[in-house]
Amino acid sequence: MSTLTPPTVTREAPASRVAGGPSPKRLRLLMRTRPWLLLAPALLILAVLLLWPLIRVVLFSLQDYGLREIVSGDTNFNGGANYAEVFADPTLWTVVLPNTVFFAAAAVIGTVVLGTLVALLMANLGSFWRTIVGSAIMVAWAMPAVTGTYVWVWIFDADRGIVNQTLMGLGLMDEPFNWFTNQFTFYGIALLNVIHHGFPFVAITVLAGLLGVSKEMLEAAEMDGAGAFRRFFQITFPSLRQVFSVVIILSTIWDFKVFAQIYLMPGGSGSNREVLNLGVWSYVESFGQNRYGFGSAIAVLLTLVLLGITIVYIRALMKEDEL
Amino acid sequence: MTTHAPAPTAARRPAEGPGTDRSTKPQVPMHRKASGRKIRSNTVKAILVTLLLVFTLFPAYWMLSSAFDAQASSGGQSFFPKELSFTNFESVLTDGGFAVFLRNSAIVAGATVLISAAVALLASVAVARFRFKFRTAVLLMILVVQMVPLEALVIPLFVQIRDLQLLNTLLGLIIVYVALALPFGIWMLRGFVAAVPVELEEAAFLDGASWWRMFRSIMLPLVAPGLVATSVFSFITAWNEFIFAMTLLGGSTENYTVAIGLKQFFGLNSNDWGSVMAASTIITIPVMIFFILVQRRLSGGLVSGAVKG
Repeated sequence: MSTLTPPTVTREAPASRVAGGPSPKRLRLLMRTRPWLLLAPALLILAVLLLWPLIRVVLFSLQDYGLREIVSGDTNFNGGANYAEVFADPTLWTVVLPNTVFFAAAAVIGTVVLGTLVALLMANLGSFWRTIVGSAIMVAWAMPAVTGTYVWVWIFDADRGIVNQTLMGLGLMDEPFNWFTNQFTFYGIALLNVIHHGFPFVAITVLAGLLGVSKEMLEAAEMDGAGAFRRFFQITFPSLRQVFSVVIILSTIWDFKVFAQIYLMPGGSGSNREVLNLGVWSYVESFGQNRYGFGSAIAVLLTLVLLGITIVYIRALMKEDEL
Repeated sequence: MTTHAPAPTAARRPAEGPGTDRSTKPQVPMHRKASGRKIRSNTVKAILVTLLLVFTLFPAYWMLSSAFDAQASSGGQSFFPKELSFTNFESVLTDGGFAVFLRNSAIVAGATVLISAAVALLASVAVARFRFKFRTAVLLMILVVQMVPLEALVIPLFVQIRDLQLLNTLLGLIIVYVALALPFGIWMLRGFVAAVPVELEEAAFLDGASWWRMFRSIMLPLVAPGLVATSVFSFITAWNEFIFAMTLLGGSTENYTVAIGLKQFFGLNSNDWGSVMAASTIITIPVMIFFILVQRRLSGGLVSGAVKG
């Protein structure tokens, strides 16, 4: 995962060795165009299916784009009215933004802390138990987001879920509690789901980094009487700084744009407006209310936030290459 | 959490030499205090491992247990299945139409893998082996488009696919998935291509091979493991994808992929949880198998790419 070039063959060298090929001039032209020929299909697909839609979503966001426009394809610009409406909407400030930001913050902290602890635990296990734990977290990682979400919903199901059954069986609760109507318990379950699915990536990545930390330094610190905490924060953490910055930024990007995990929970698809986040809000305004222009404006805002985080990410990657 | 008990390490050091301080290895003479500490640290580790295993595996266990429990859809649940049987799976595959969804998903994921692997391989050779103008710009663009949220792409792509008259078709979905799988595929394969020794290429040229001949006979076989790993990744992307499948296939149930096929087991008032869990199990199994197969190779590829710089 780096942006630096590996040593490349200078194309002229082999060309001069090939005897009896096309004339040197034509060959040089071929060498210059070959990378572009190789890139052409990919660039074409990316341009038509990713870049053009990105431009288009910005164009939509500047229009009153509803059912009529989407059917006829006509344009209907209304300046920045959609953005003005988004920023004036109390839903944004009281529900959507807090849900998105606090959830992402909690999920990133939870994922990274748990992942790191698991990596430290695995580094201290013998190879047999390390394999067992490694395989178990692989199971959590491989579980698709859609099925994983359904399993968590089933676990917390109001009528027959195991959590309610157990709590009632223990006499801690008299009647079933609906975990999904309350904003906080709803996001608590979403948090559990996202952390469960996300921590294996952190654990595996950090473990790979941990195995590269200088043993001599750790031993020296130990002999000098440094405790486990001190050793972690003064030796392990600084030498893994790059790994952590990459892991944290990637998790932030992923947790900001969670969609299926929220949308598939009861009430998550727009019927309970208390639990909307940026992505779901954009989707339900567009495809639920046919307000594609307004939905696009929300989507553009989400994209800008992620773009900001991405720039930080690229900076971190570039820094890694300098090392 | 620590296994490096300070005292014994210091005491042992002169005799053993550096680098042999893993507490899992048998350790020679140790005084009582240290062995007590070792037992305590092992107990702590055992507790932590148990807690971790319960947390990690419980959802998967619960999915399986409900899927095999004939009564999961009716009675209350307990921690063990009440009546082990395959009835949930049978009803899901026949009445639920899941056999069709599985076929659809296999077609979509298969086509996505073949097309995106071919296109990504060519592009990754270009960025890993050639230096050309705008190379960095192309790489940065590939990195940036990966971060774009699907929610932003789904509105314009819905319009675009509709203009192509491909709504409710598998082809429309394949086109979108190829685009989604491509950036990551190029990024991954780049590392694998860069890891092929340049000397091998030069040797082929020396022997008079043309560029394409070199590509087929040298590059392709050596990059094959990376190609497999990348393909598995795009397979999983296409298999799991939800938002586009829901939006582009909305109208035609017979073309549903597995990820959205699950929706129909949710009734207005009660959910058929036994079927949902059986269907979830069917969806999860291929992903798990692929994941376990390539996991080692994939992380290996990431690491080797990083070291190569």
